[in-house]
Amino acid sequence: MDLPGWQALTDELSADAPEGEGFTAIAVALEQEREPLEPFIEGITIPILLDANHLVTELYAVSNIPTVIWIDEDDRIVRPNTAAPGTDTFIDFTGVSCEPHMDAIRRWVRDGEVELAADEVQGAAGELDNDEINARLYYRLALHARRQGDQAAAEALFKTAGELAPHDFTIRRSAMPLTGRDPFGENFFGLWEEWKAGGRKYHGLNIDFKN
Amino acid sequence: MGTVTVLTESSAEVAGDVVDGRVAIDASALTDAIGWQLKPEGLCQADVCVPVPDQAALMLGDRIDVAAAAAAVGRSSLVDAEHAAIAVSQPATARDTVVNGMQAPNLVLPDLDGNEVAMAEFRGRKKLLVVFASW
Repeated sequence: MDLPGWQALTDELSADAPEGEGFTAIAVALEQEREPLEPFIEGITIPILLDANHLVTELYAVSNIPTVIWIDEDDRIVRPNTAAPGTDTFIDFTGVSCEPHMDAIRRWVRDGEVELAADEVQGAAGELDNDEINARLYYRLALHARRQGDQAAAEALFKTAGELAPHDFTIRRSAMPLTGRDPFGENFFGLWEEWKAGGRKYHGLNIDFKN
Repeated sequence: MGTVTVLTESSAEVAGDVVDGRVAIDASALTDAIGWQLKPEGLCQADVCVPVPDQAALMLGDRIDVAAAAAAVGRSSLVDAEHAAIAVSQPATARDTVVNGMQAPNLVLPDLDGNEVAMAEFRGRKKLLVVFASW
């Protein structure tokens, strides 16, 4: 879990800043409730927000986690969707170390340096297509059916959502624990292989995956 | 009249029915449903009005078709007739503002204690928005 890494970075970069300035990480959880987060939140003081309806994935075109977005003092997006981890826990699997990105954040916060030019970042997240938007609507209908206690209908709606956005982990993987499947088990590895075979689609800036 | 659930950035229960796959509600419930009100000048929210040249096209008899009203303000939708629910997307302009306009929206979400937090509260700071989950 990445929260301790983002907490440490926030502590480091906000230590000398006047109140209300400096830097903070803001964590947005794609979860239906607080309970699955309990094992990860002790000692975490950065804001943790619950996005049950996945609004952030619709507005920012987020298709996998972790995804981070740099937003400046004036709420301008200076670095859109990037698949950057807050820890090296999964480095053997993803091949992505957290340190180069964290160093880039330090340079941004301390020196105002952003390596990417405006024309490199504008549109880099890529707009959601109609199927991806409809996938999010089916997902919300599935959540509603689930809250109504109609699990069979919910599963059918989650499935339709996944068919419309087959490479979107925020749709397919997030539905696994809501439909009695292990998001770290064979279902996940099947999805991972599909995603690789499908060209490793990601809404955002490209990163190098070794695996 | 029954009850329909309108799923936007929140969930609203309003009086209405699903008729032939379309969600019909009274005009007076439209603000609760999607945050816009039908007036002679169009669909209005606070001081902003979006002209609706053919208001009759929004109607199902004497009631409003939620999907048509949502579409008139740039929001697509899907209906689940079995559960009397309609899911409504964010406005297309809101997505465009983020992805192409590079401006962060004032997203409002609850914290883990249920208190609403607006992104605008962090203006003046550099922010790293981290989208994550337990799965």
